[in-house]
Amino acid sequence: MSSNCTSAAPVSASKTKTKKKHFIGQKVKLFRASEPILSVLMWGVNHTVNELSNVPVPVMLMPDDFKAYSKIKVDNHLFNKENLPSRFKFKEYCPMVFRNLRERFCIDDQDYQNSLTRSAPLNSDSQGRFGNRFLSSYDHRFVIKTVSSEDIAEMHNILKKYHQFIVECHGNTLLPQFLGMYRLTVDGVETYMVVTRNVFSHRLTVHRKYDLKGSTVSREASDKEKAKELPTFKDNDFLNEGHKLQIGDDNKKYFLEKLKRDVEVSVETFCLTDSVVLCLLSEALSCFLCVRVCQFLATLKIMDYSLLVGIHDVERAEQEEMDVDAVGEEEEYENDGMGGGVLTGSFGTPPDSPGNPLNCGGFFGPGEFDPSVDVYAIKSHDSAVKKEVYFMAIIDILTHYDAKKKAAHAAKTVKHGAGAEISTVNPEQYSKRFYEFMSNILS
Amino acid sequence: MARSVYKTKTKKKHFVAQKVKLFRASDPLLSVVMWGVNHSINELSHVQIPIMLMPDDFKAYSKIKVDNHLFNKENMPSHFKFKEYCPLVFRNLRERFGIDDQDFLNSLTRSAPLNSEAQGRSGARFHTSYDKRYVIKTISSEDVAEMHNILKKYHQFIVECHGNTLLPQFLGMYRLTVDGDETYMIVTRNVFSHRLSVYKKYDLKGSTVAREASDKEKAKELPTYKDNDFINDGQKIHIDGENKKMFLEKLRKDVEFLAQLKLMDYSLLVGIHDVERAEQEEVESEDNEAEEEGESDGGGIGTPPDSPSNTLDSNKPLSPGEFDPTIDVYAIKSNESEQKEVYFMAVIDILQHYDAKKKAAHAAKTVKHGAGAEISTVNPEQYSKRFYDFITTILS
Repeated sequence: MSSNCTSAAPVSASKTKTKKKHFIGQKVKLFRASEPILSVLMWGVNHTVNELSNVPVPVMLMPDDFKAYSKIKVDNHLFNKENLPSRFKFKEYCPMVFRNLRERFCIDDQDYQNSLTRSAPLNSDSQGRFGNRFLSSYDHRFVIKTVSSEDIAEMHNILKKYHQFIVECHGNTLLPQFLGMYRLTVDGVETYMVVTRNVFSHRLTVHRKYDLKGSTVSREASDKEKAKELPTFKDNDFLNEGHKLQIGDDNKKYFLEKLKRDVEVSVETFCLTDSVVLCLLSEALSCFLCVRVCQFLATLKIMDYSLLVGIHDVERAEQEEMDVDAVGEEEEYENDGMGGGVLTGSFGTPPDSPGNPLNCGGFFGPGEFDPSVDVYAIKSHDSAVKKEVYFMAIIDILTHYDAKKKAAHAAKTVKHGAGAEISTVNPEQYSKRFYEFMSNILS
Repeated sequence: MARSVYKTKTKKKHFVAQKVKLFRASDPLLSVVMWGVNHSINELSHVQIPIMLMPDDFKAYSKIKVDNHLFNKENMPSHFKFKEYCPLVFRNLRERFGIDDQDFLNSLTRSAPLNSEAQGRSGARFHTSYDKRYVIKTISSEDVAEMHNILKKYHQFIVECHGNTLLPQFLGMYRLTVDGDETYMIVTRNVFSHRLSVYKKYDLKGSTVAREASDKEKAKELPTYKDNDFINDGQKIHIDGENKKMFLEKLRKDVEFLAQLKLMDYSLLVGIHDVERAEQEEVESEDNEAEEEGESDGGGIGTPPDSPSNTLDSNKPLSPGEFDPTIDVYAIKSNESEQKEVYFMAVIDILQHYDAKKKAAHAAKTVKHGAGAEISTVNPEQYSKRFYDFITTILS
């Protein structure tokens, strides 16, 4: 397969198509975490990736692979009680499919495993719709979202077409990168989890965050939300601030003309045309991807998704780092050696973890990033007012129009926000409105 | 294969490229053993090695149940269960017997274990690991219960003798469930060599009642001869004074231990490697190979085509009759002045408890049966004495 995978200086790894050699001494993984469910998640991902390493990679996926699962039930007695519960179950859905997806998204299984198992995933402040729980891997490369069993069913419904879409766009998309889907059972309670690539950077802090849908009804952060450390602002907030994402005038104009034509083309044709390939330069690609993605989502009758936008302010970050250094020096004589400018907190690597091989690549200047790791990052253009890095991708794509209608009719009310929208918008309209709003905010 | 191997007390660094293990075998049960040992050793690698074992460790187990659907069906059954008894105890025992967990894992998983001709008491089934270092014996649930009964004392004994014993080296005990059928297995170090062939084999108890190989047995490729055959053949074990002394000292302690635990009916397994005969056989097989070279793919002595040799035996070639005493731990060279032989001798079948026997005999209400006849005359103490005396006489 042709892919856009470029790796950043892996340490003495000879890349073969399916296996990367890891010359690393075996590290004891204890799966220690603050909660049993996190230990089970770590154990489970460790186990399933190991199992997969003993299953040959097939030439291509078969229909059965989209219905498959692996289930394991552990019952220990007076053994291994320190970090794991004695009884738990772990189920992985469609293991071969997600392995294939990880490959297409240029994620090596060993790295995936390491990110999720070397140290416990961290709780994240952000909350999805309906208070879904979010976690991020300790190295901030992946996001683990707790989902409902309906979401699992919807994933199964779209999985084949989603996979096909990923094949055709060579992994180059703004859609969530689905990397694994699991069901954990601890103390008789079932929890469903989906792992995706983090939209934001694993290194650069996001200073401002937006969840944009292109609608105007109830699209404003509440006061409670604004009180948080990193609030999730919405459409009206964005518009009220007069914000623009400054990625470049000329390119944007050039592509919008093209995209208008693409949007009017029948939704059946998804192929990459030559002229579009030429236009695969930096930023404006996001416009093009946006169209294709919207077409894809509309075709599958999915709606209510958002564009998640994170903004990294380069100057502010530099200032913050200097502040930390200063504090670090002051505390140097007080602490046990945690000073000296070592960043603890959200970007601290756990004390006993060696750097991930992919971290050791090069030294990154302020506002710089490795595009093969931070795949959604776009720099502001050179003449922009502020030096910023934007992270933009689509999230929450599992709401199906038919399921919504059923729910709304069952609720017998249109007062609720979602209900109000359903009486006016269908997936086609939603995607159109979404696309228009997004093209407006880019400059 | 591993060029730079650092031996530390607990962990050996393996700079080995990850090898895909398919657990392919002729029998789903073997695939499950391979998968299970692989899983168990990997799990243990995430459990810290305790400073010392606790009483709970002798009652512990780990159980895992696998249920796959349309996944991994090529080599594994879709539904199976694997239970390991007292994982921490057996890990500790492996360490005390000088066996690295990774090597143990490789021996049992790189290629499927092989069926063995040997048959234990009551037709118990045997397999050997593909590299012939370990023996996997299918046992009964009563045997598993007996193992649990003696495990603490056995472990203590191994601690005290520093792993230097003729008793079986128990390395792992498992229960497999495939297609609803439960199979119990125990892994021990092979008494015989993983390299040198054994051309004659004896099972000796030191008794004289019904201790002769049957005609059916004699028809086998490597029959198991018994006490009377040994005497009638005029067979001798020619080992020098020093070796004899060390051997008998070990044996004495071992049978004392067994008598204390009221165990009996064990045997001394004796295997004889004839150096000249082996050299002759190798010359013949090379000739055969040279003839067949144009015809077959060469299949030699049975290293699976795609298996690299185990890390431990790749260092230097051994000459005829030579062995690595850290691998072939039971091997004893014959006396210089006699014909060149290597003997492999150790105690086997130690799980028969006197009380269990008596119960069974009374239940059967007969003393005509061989075991019944003995039970009316011998107790564990007497058995051990008679056993020890017999072995002393056969060593010249």
